[in-house]
Amino acid sequence: MNAPLVHSRPGLEVRNLCRSFGGLQATADVSFSVPFGTVTALVGPNGAGKTTLFNLVTGIVRPQSGEVFFDGERITGASAGRIAALGLIRTFQTARVFPGLTVLENAMVGGHRRVRTSPFAHMISLPSARREERALRERAEAMLDIVGLGRVRDTHAVELPMGSQKLLEVVRALMAAPRMLLLDEPAAGLNDSETADLAALLRAIRDTGVTVLVVEHNMALVMSVAEQVVVLEAGAVIACGDPDAVRADPRVIRAYLGAEADNQGGRP
Amino acid sequence: MTNFIQLLIGGVLTGCIYALIALGFSLIFRVTGVVNLAQGAFCILAALACASFEMQFGWSILAASLGAVAVAVAVGAVVGATSFVPGLTRLSNANMLMLTAGLLTVFEGAMQLIWGSQPYALEPFSGQEPLAFAGITVPTQGLWMLGITGVLVLALWVLLTRTRLGQALRACSENPTAARLMGVSVPRMTLFSFCLSALIAAIAGVVIAPATSLQFDSGRLFTVSGFIAAVIGGIASLPGAIVGGLVLGVVNTLATAYLSSLYSNAIALGLLLMVLVWRPSGLMAGGPARRQDVRDEARVWKRVHRLSPAAGRFAAVAALIGAVALPHVMPSEAILGSLVIVGILFVALIGLDLLMGWCGQVALGHAGFMAIGGYTAAGLAIDHQVSPLLGIFAGMGLSLVCALVLSVVTLRLRGLYLALATLSFGLLVTSFAVGLTELTGGPSGMVGIPSLEIAGWAFDTTESMYHLVLVLDVVLVVVSQGVMRSSFGRAIQAIRTDQMAAAALGVNVLRTKLVVFAVSAMLASLSGSLYAFNFHFLSPDMVDATRSLELVAMLVIGGEGTLIGPLLGGLLLTLLPTVFAPLASAKTLVSGLLLVGCFLWLPHGLYGLVVDGLNGIFRRFGETARPGAVSEEAAR
Repeated sequence: MNAPLVHSRPGLEVRNLCRSFGGLQATADVSFSVPFGTVTALVGPNGAGKTTLFNLVTGIVRPQSGEVFFDGERITGASAGRIAALGLIRTFQTARVFPGLTVLENAMVGGHRRVRTSPFAHMISLPSARREERALRERAEAMLDIVGLGRVRDTHAVELPMGSQKLLEVVRALMAAPRMLLLDEPAAGLNDSETADLAALLRAIRDTGVTVLVVEHNMALVMSVAEQVVVLEAGAVIACGDPDAVRADPRVIRAYLGAEADNQGGRP
Repeated sequence: MTNFIQLLIGGVLTGCIYALIALGFSLIFRVTGVVNLAQGAFCILAALACASFEMQFGWSILAASLGAVAVAVAVGAVVGATSFVPGLTRLSNANMLMLTAGLLTVFEGAMQLIWGSQPYALEPFSGQEPLAFAGITVPTQGLWMLGITGVLVLALWVLLTRTRLGQALRACSENPTAARLMGVSVPRMTLFSFCLSALIAAIAGVVIAPATSLQFDSGRLFTVSGFIAAVIGGIASLPGAIVGGLVLGVVNTLATAYLSSLYSNAIALGLLLMVLVWRPSGLMAGGPARRQDVRDEARVWKRVHRLSPAAGRFAAVAALIGAVALPHVMPSEAILGSLVIVGILFVALIGLDLLMGWCGQVALGHAGFMAIGGYTAAGLAIDHQVSPLLGIFAGMGLSLVCALVLSVVTLRLRGLYLALATLSFGLLVTSFAVGLTELTGGPSGMVGIPSLEIAGWAFDTTESMYHLVLVLDVVLVVVSQGVMRSSFGRAIQAIRTDQMAAAALGVNVLRTKLVVFAVSAMLASLSGSLYAFNFHFLSPDMVDATRSLELVAMLVIGGEGTLIGPLLGGLLLTLLPTVFAPLASAKTLVSGLLLVGCFLWLPHGLYGLVVDGLNGIFRRFGETARPGAVSEEAAR
């Protein structure tokens, strides 16, 4: 693996991951690693297997072969809940906010895994429960303020425009105090100024010590925040390295331009 | 050996009927992804109509049968066009399931009004004399069943594989969007499949009617057997329906003969659970896999209905004062008695709301836990002079154990399958309540249950029960409210619509569901115990599947996921017959109609109306409501 970066301790390690759906090889022998403390971008044309890779890593889909390690611990095939408990928190490609809850409550669900007081304490409204609830609420409010959703925090979450829902999902994931954040196309549906805000947010997240793995189509965003770029094509890694090196890689250029030409030609 | 063959033949014949109903299930499921619980009702409708045509109008068997089938199909067309097809575009699959449960209730209520509650038996098509061969006798009606099943299956096969219409139907089942793009009218095809399965069920009903006795509510037995058969065979597979029907028929008949009819139900349920757990797609998996998640379609939760704090305080105080003052201002024993019943049912309804409204798990067998609580507490009090309070706790403990076993077995089940597993559980409990005569008093019920007595305080008057229930309800509402506003409560609501996203945030989905299910079961059990102590009597039909569906109706009519809503639904359904005496006989029909209507037109129930009204009034009085308290139309 080429991991020439200064942060060398591997956070997430993916080794020879394979998964096919019927006759379609979604990921074929994918290997790469994400060092702690970096922003890594996963790019590739549509259908390259990026989302499948996310699903494999976060336990939503089981791999057929290969292994996944997080901080040295083997998490291959572990349940989504257990992987989340280790601090590997993801967002989804199409925002999946919880209907029936307000924006603030959605954000607070993210903090669930760190709540220590029992439901019984809440039942009889013990001071410790009230205190923790208040702290959680304040943290959620502060986070919503940072991303500019503070104003709409009492709105029903599904009433937000799609871009805001995606931001809310990022906030919700952050509320879970992730060690590593996996973002699936967070900039989809955002306009240019919102995308710039998102880039700043991603850098701020990294600066707080959270490792970020992001699937993104927006190349400007990728090049401005990522320290490492992994390029997937047709389920396989074709390049991995720092943004400038990847951008200059002839295979990447060919895959990208070729893929686009193919897309127009109606590739399945 | 002869005996065994005799039984086997009987099993196959019964299996034919199950197979026919299962075929209807599979057909609708393949086209729409919905299980139509009203299926069995078409059987009974046709059978009863046939009986009327024969006995009252003196029609010949053939004319009566054809007429009855035509009536059932016509009714099916009307019901399908007015409720089932419109519902498909508005409701999630699991809500559609409950809509059809509502339709089943409507059918039962209407048939009870028309034909009363006595059983009907028809003359066999070709005489009573059975055919005998080598010591084995076969009733001629059995041959009719076999023959007609064969002809129907063949006709259906030809229709689906050899005609344009069949091609369109299969297109709808495989890819509705693509079918629509190709010019197939999906609603029309849906309606057609609905009528077609009504036709199949109606023919099955007419053919089975001479072989058994049927009454207005036998439909649910056919629905359940047919569904179990369909699931065993593979709900999405038409050949599976036939295999499942035959397997179930044979197993049921053999179990009844060699064990007892009590255990044949248990064995059918066991078979269902085994298939669900090890092979959820059935013995003969077929057709496209349809997603059967929890009710994760967002359209159910388009709006958030919450009282503004000021309106909430006002409403709570007003309701409390009203409730405390009521026995003094309106000392009508009948009304107070009804209110006690509402209050007792409300305990179970809170549990059901936690499970269904807040956690999104469909449960159609909650009266089963009421039965466990009622019979345990009452039985201990009568036979062993155990104090009522201890008996209540024993019942809750037993319900907890049952709930845990049930949920461990059904751990992997979701939406539809969970609903059916709970429905079967309720039926199983009822069959035990009827069958274990020495413990429960059997069908005629358990008499001489003492009054509730807690630490020397006897609750033997309506008014004392009223106050007890009032306090209990208030405590439960306050406590549940607290939990729902906690992190645990938000996790529950996250699971309601999106288990996967919840799990990805570190919510322990399985444990949370388990806890909610257990609490819900214990509340139902508590409610059942109070029910028994209140009436001093308990019979299986007080806590059977009808009660389960009534609880669901109260919940939906009142408003799911609102805690207070079900109380409104309970009040409406319980008090209406008390206030308007003529309605009492039509209670089932009215509750079914209300349930269906609410699903279609009032998705937020009475509570939604009340909240909108109160919030509106308070805004007009210049109260500054929180923006979130105001519900707004969701962006699509």
